[in-house]
Amino acid sequence: MIGDAIITNAIIRKTLVCLLCAGVLCLSAHLVLSPKKDYSENENRYLAPFPTPSLETVLDGEFMDALSDWLADHFPRRDFFVGLKSGVEIASGRRCVNRIYVAEDDYLIEPYDRPQNTERITDTLRHFYEKIDTDRIDLHLMLVPTAVTVYSDKLPAYAPSCDQLETARAIYDATGIPAIDCTQRLLDGASQGQLYYRTDHHWTTFGAYQGYLAYCDTKGLTPLALTSLTARTVTEDFAGTLYSKINDYGHRRDEITVYTNPEDTLTVTYLDTGEVTDSLYNFDYLEEKDKYSLFLNNIHPLIVIENTSAASQDELMLVKDSYANSMVPFLAHHYRKIYVFDTRYYRDGPSSFLDDHETVTDILLLYNLNTLDGDTGIRGIY
Amino acid sequence: MVFSCIPFVFFFLPLCLLLYYAVPFSWKNGTLLFFSLLFYAWGEPLYILLMLFSTLLDYTNGRLMERFGTTGPRRAFFLCCSVCINLSILAFFKYAGFAVSSVNGILGTQFAAPQIHLPVGISFYTFQTMSYIIDLYRGRIKAERSYISYLTYVSMFPQLVAGPIVRFSDIQARLHSREITFAAFEQGLLRFMMGLFKKVLIANQAGALWEEIRVLGVGETSVATAWLGALSFTLQLYFDFSAYSDMAIGMGKMLGFDYNENFRYPLAAVSVTDFWRRWHISLSTWFRDYVYIPLGGNRKGIPRHLFNIALVWFLTGLWHGASWNFVLWGVYYGVLLILEKYIWGKALEKAPRPFRHIYTFLIVVFGFVIFAITDAGELRNYIGLLFSCGASGWFDTRFLWYLDNYGPVLLLACVLACPVYPWICQKAATLSRGKSRLLSAFAAIAVLLLFVLSTAYMVSDTYNPFLYFRF
Repeated sequence: MIGDAIITNAIIRKTLVCLLCAGVLCLSAHLVLSPKKDYSENENRYLAPFPTPSLETVLDGEFMDALSDWLADHFPRRDFFVGLKSGVEIASGRRCVNRIYVAEDDYLIEPYDRPQNTERITDTLRHFYEKIDTDRIDLHLMLVPTAVTVYSDKLPAYAPSCDQLETARAIYDATGIPAIDCTQRLLDGASQGQLYYRTDHHWTTFGAYQGYLAYCDTKGLTPLALTSLTARTVTEDFAGTLYSKINDYGHRRDEITVYTNPEDTLTVTYLDTGEVTDSLYNFDYLEEKDKYSLFLNNIHPLIVIENTSAASQDELMLVKDSYANSMVPFLAHHYRKIYVFDTRYYRDGPSSFLDDHETVTDILLLYNLNTLDGDTGIRGIY
Repeated sequence: MVFSCIPFVFFFLPLCLLLYYAVPFSWKNGTLLFFSLLFYAWGEPLYILLMLFSTLLDYTNGRLMERFGTTGPRRAFFLCCSVCINLSILAFFKYAGFAVSSVNGILGTQFAAPQIHLPVGISFYTFQTMSYIIDLYRGRIKAERSYISYLTYVSMFPQLVAGPIVRFSDIQARLHSREITFAAFEQGLLRFMMGLFKKVLIANQAGALWEEIRVLGVGETSVATAWLGALSFTLQLYFDFSAYSDMAIGMGKMLGFDYNENFRYPLAAVSVTDFWRRWHISLSTWFRDYVYIPLGGNRKGIPRHLFNIALVWFLTGLWHGASWNFVLWGVYYGVLLILEKYIWGKALEKAPRPFRHIYTFLIVVFGFVIFAITDAGELRNYIGLLFSCGASGWFDTRFLWYLDNYGPVLLLACVLACPVYPWICQKAATLSRGKSRLLSAFAAIAVLLLFVLSTAYMVSDTYNPFLYFRF
């Protein structure tokens, strides 16, 4: 270890000690005097608030813990220091930082952990399926593999991961719901474009398009050609959720490309806020950190999308997680109406909704395999 | 509050030192005491009363012993009084739950185990106060007249919660008059920094690997991975604990005290006996001076010697925690020390040096597995894995994964666990002026960079335990 007796030169020694003391004092003074932020954009979380002491919180130590958190959270140049740590860790050979794999080609990839809730999820889905009148309604389940499976060749050597497709097969088999497996489409698409964001856990619109192709394959629909749509790169500065986890601030950012179909005439109604627009995107989110939220305006319990120039009179009920948000722009072409549910927030249960809406012809359940296991919305389906 | 955290390094310590240097000497002990109590209260707001009680007891007994202890039996009475109460407090707060659940386990009874939260540092300060009263009984020291000074000695924040166990006889003189020089401050600060780097940059990383490996599921651990886990825990514990001692010694120096060294490169030991001369020295010498030698040591025949070793190592194990695995760990060393003394010690001395290092290192690493896992079932499973029972083969890709990720930091840790640093210092002393200036400049820049890096780790690290807080 480098320390005292190596530094035998008295002047250098004194200079070092003075610099260390000055450094400590400057940083602590800066911490106390500088204005404080409430929210860290980079880390995508609220920073600890200054705790108010009370007899109770002082006696049980809660106040002291909160004060320590506050100091660490509001440390001067926090972003620099947090980024420095990640940078040094990666440089020292770490390929897994904060439980995120630092993969080839600047991809950050979430590992897939051993699923804990497969049985419960299967039960819920099966119950839902049993209630559906399958003569009237065409129901499909689409479990989307994430980058850890599709981009497994980019993972660092020997990176441990569980098998997502095994989980998918187990759920398809046990529920009996007709499956749409988009794995092959995704693998085929890998050579033609970027399927997943480098810095986020979602698929790109190109990835979502592969999912859409798989959907059309099964449904016998004629898919839109990407060239027939208007593509627009809305940002080149997307730093997603995985970026926030590893905090390597020099990391390459992502582009987001959105597709619009000039032929569609859309009315999008957000039932919780009552807002009505003609776009599937909310570009206000481009100003914010979590830019993926621009798809379908982030989170809403129920969204109704009407397309008066749709190719059919069919109505789709889409029960999904956020992966579907970037696939809806393709699906919208084929349905007169799409009901988009986020069952984490939609409290009445899509099952009963179905009884009141007899015009629904199709149901698609769409979840990505990585967050499926912890998805709290699944319970809300049935 | 651990030493390696933002509040301590950037607020508590600078504030304490600034005030401490600013006040006149007669106020220094009081200032130090105030900050020590604040430090303790930060982590244990209520149990501070227990510490005050414990110190008041020993202080009073010490005064009484000096005043009225004119005859042997009277002195013994005060000694007994103090030792018994101290041990009872320790037994109650540390071992009550363990004792009840052990009794339940052996007799199949259903007594409710008391849920007592262990006061931080109680094992350390109880041993300090006991050393005071025993030394006083033996006439080696004079009783401390000022309660403030005595309380300052026991509660002094550098060594309060995780050692080293400082004896009163070692610092009594300094308590009443000490010189505070800039040279000592320099030395202390750099020593503190060294501890900080060891703790934050190495111990925490090795610990993260150990945490990953120990929670692996059935069939996910190969023999190689299991040994890697044991190695990483060993490195974590050594760097963690010796870093704590470095920081304590460094802060002691800054405050004008000289604490004895607590570690001397134990992982580079050449025998188990040698290991215990280098590991947690303040604890093993405490047991030597206050238990082993009073019982007769090795001077009362072989059976008594065996008994003495067995007892001391049973107690050493138990001191580390209220759980059978610690006792087992102590007994493991007791047995090995007896074997070295009576069976293969002579042969070992003649063995080639590399063999002696490997022999000791393997024993130590395996020993720390016993130390690391308190749950009996989990411990059995893990030991099984080390010997390929229940393991998923000898070797697997997961092992390579861990090696890829943690190899560099573990390698660095292994190198630094050897006495490389004293070797460089020795060389540095013989360098010419120009070369030593160059080396100094290089080392100074390294210290600055490491300090920035440690700050980065402290700002962003969520994993920052101090292992010896449990004891």
